[in-house]
Amino acid sequence: MTNLPEILKLSRLVMVWLTLIFVPVWGACWLVGIALPWLLVERVPAMLGDAVAPPWVMFVADLCRFLTPVVSIMVFIPINAMFMVLFERRALAIFTVRKGPNRTLLDGLAQTFADALKLLFKEDITPRGADAVMFTLAPIIFFAPSIFGALPLLAAVTNNHALFQIANVPTGIFYVLASASVPVVALVMAGWSSNNKYSLVGGLRSAAQAISYEIPLVLSIVTVCLLAGTLDVVQIANQQHGGFLNWNLFGGGALTGLDKYLAAFLSGASTEGILAQYYPHGFWSAAATVVLAIATFILFGLYLTGACAEINRIPFDLPEAESELVSGYNTEYSGIKFAIFFLAEFTNLFVVASIATVMFLGGGDNIIPVYLLDNPIMHELSSLLAGALSFLINLQIVDPTTFWAAVWVIIKVYSIVFFAILVRGTLPRFRIDQLMDFGWKRLIPLSLIAFLVVVFARVAVVCHG
Amino acid sequence: MTAEVKEQNLKTDEMIINMGPQHPATHGVLRLILTLDGEFVKHAEPVLGHLHRAQEWQGQNRTWFQYQALIDRVDYLSGMHTSWAMARAAEVLDECEVPERAEYLRVLVSEMNRISSHLLWLGTYLIDLGAMFGFPFYPFREREKLLDLFEEIAGQRMMFNYIRIGGVQRDPKPDWFRRLREFTREFPDRVDEYEAIVTENPIFLKRTKGVGVLPLKLGQDYGVTGPSLRASGTDYDLRRRKPYSIYPKLDFKVHWLDKPEGGDTWDRYILRVREMRESNEIIKQVLDMIPEGGEIMAKKQNAGLRVKAGEGFSAIESPRGILGCYIISNGSDKAVRIKWRNPSFCNLSILPALLVGHPIADVMAIFGSIDVILPDVDR
Repeated sequence: MTNLPEILKLSRLVMVWLTLIFVPVWGACWLVGIALPWLLVERVPAMLGDAVAPPWVMFVADLCRFLTPVVSIMVFIPINAMFMVLFERRALAIFTVRKGPNRTLLDGLAQTFADALKLLFKEDITPRGADAVMFTLAPIIFFAPSIFGALPLLAAVTNNHALFQIANVPTGIFYVLASASVPVVALVMAGWSSNNKYSLVGGLRSAAQAISYEIPLVLSIVTVCLLAGTLDVVQIANQQHGGFLNWNLFGGGALTGLDKYLAAFLSGASTEGILAQYYPHGFWSAAATVVLAIATFILFGLYLTGACAEINRIPFDLPEAESELVSGYNTEYSGIKFAIFFLAEFTNLFVVASIATVMFLGGGDNIIPVYLLDNPIMHELSSLLAGALSFLINLQIVDPTTFWAAVWVIIKVYSIVFFAILVRGTLPRFRIDQLMDFGWKRLIPLSLIAFLVVVFARVAVVCHG
Repeated sequence: MTAEVKEQNLKTDEMIINMGPQHPATHGVLRLILTLDGEFVKHAEPVLGHLHRAQEWQGQNRTWFQYQALIDRVDYLSGMHTSWAMARAAEVLDECEVPERAEYLRVLVSEMNRISSHLLWLGTYLIDLGAMFGFPFYPFREREKLLDLFEEIAGQRMMFNYIRIGGVQRDPKPDWFRRLREFTREFPDRVDEYEAIVTENPIFLKRTKGVGVLPLKLGQDYGVTGPSLRASGTDYDLRRRKPYSIYPKLDFKVHWLDKPEGGDTWDRYILRVREMRESNEIIKQVLDMIPEGGEIMAKKQNAGLRVKAGEGFSAIESPRGILGCYIISNGSDKAVRIKWRNPSFCNLSILPALLVGHPIADVMAIFGSIDVILPDVDR
């Protein structure tokens, strides 16, 4: 516990940094999605002397609203990736009894910005004998899917905010997973086009690894979709609302009945028939609930393991195994291309953490069950807060439900990110054949078994009511 | 088409990979020419000499006094041992009686140096296995304390020039002994900490168990010594076999593993951890036994330092194995011939034999486990 002061300091800094990052991002969204359309629709007709807005104004206003999710992602992803690099470096520094970067602006906030700027000015070298087109395309193909793959998640993590609904698609999670599997093509491209044996081995390794670990990853997600009965991420997130007992992590909705029973019991209402409604088969329902609770925990573990392998993090960072392959597929990259690879890796980490949050941890759901918050003091507090912020709320700068959803999502996502950092600070890496054995002989059978178990156990319980 | 024909049609080429001299994991500038079949090593050839500094030749062109300051650089992680090997060789030739307190101090600092060398090995070995962050820094934390102690007595953290011909350079203050005692008290807990993270770590076990098995006979044929050989089933330790200095008076255990079929990289790891614990015990004993006051230097340390004419040899047990120094003197201020027997060079010679048949990921796991210091190989 000698590190406690450092840990507390980092937690405080993270809060400040995150505020500094999210305020401008939300500001940009508000400007494009709310302020600009409002100006166009309300003010421009008056200026033109018309009573109603002409069609072209309406079109531009709609276009602005339509572009908001894209703008928010484009602003958010690079800034956030830079922040995550910094967060990882500082957290690792604490694990390793060091200080970490703490000089550049506000105790190190601008460190990654400075690093990225430095890389921008570095000479961009294409090695002799390299395939220049592929070599240039690889970082772009690596980064682009991680940006646009995150789009459908926006609505789910902001409690279905009106601005981001447009980015939602009915088969959202399918789209997210599909785009998450594109970067491996870029890694093979990078490895092949670099004209370097280390890069080539790294690229091929990444292909083998991604194919093997995508199966348990997708199977665990598919199982969750099976429990939820939909592929729509917004619906999946909404189903889990109402406290942690509803989350997919805890029984995939099998505990919803218990949650409802507790709510009625604590508020003094009649608890008659609630349990019978959700658990119709008595003993078999109870057994199925226990089985589901265990199965979903295993699924979460499978997902995290598969995700770690998918984004090449320790202990699965074989494509860039430093002690063997120098730096793997990005050995020959320098300057801004390397920076893009680097940022994309962290963005991928953020995206898989967001998927885990939406699929398992209830998205923007409050961890504390609603019925525990349902008391006069909380009502008083929230009305006080609403009064104090009424000006901002009227301008739609602050939306209370979205705000709290965002806060919870950030906490959850960064907890998973922190877990990944912790793993990185602890474990050595696998060998490639051991990695394949672990994937094909352990994870894939386990995920198939979990899938089958869930299929049968789900019959006995009413999930998510 | 039968399977055999198919196999013949499938043309697989061998790939030659040049590992090093610039490679993040070769601990310096070793070049390994690896012939790979897929991911597996078919043939390995170490190319030495990138760090050749003519250390032996320099010994013949520098005065004894000057050369003493140079030889710490040969094996920069255990400078005390290299200094001691040469000092002893000269003393054997000179028939010079080393003061008793100096002998105790020599054992003290050399065992401290053994711990610091093994600590650095432990940290870098975990890096070789891919634990890039986190754990590798913890051994460095303890090593830092030892280096601070070295700095106080030698004025330098790694290139000590502390053990000299005829004795040791400075007498530590009482506070130094107190701090060393404090270190020895807390050190076993720290080693427990490392073992808790590493020893039973499933990934670590997977990466090290059964990897790079070194049979005893093969090791002896190649002249491998030190912990790498003791992990393969022999208790060959010069501190016990050919005792020197005050080691006969000390009660210590030579750690070795009874594995005649050969020790793997995990055995070499656990043996070094045990040696660290044992060195800690030796330090404790020496701290209790060390005589108060008295001379620590039997020869005058100045440019006129001379060694009698003749031939002298001495070997000591360094953290990496047997470190021998052979000198021929004609009684002048310079040596006529100096020859080192470096443990790293002999241990490295086993590498091609160990690597064949292992995947490329194990190359660094095996290379790291035999604990080679490149300047010590190339001199």
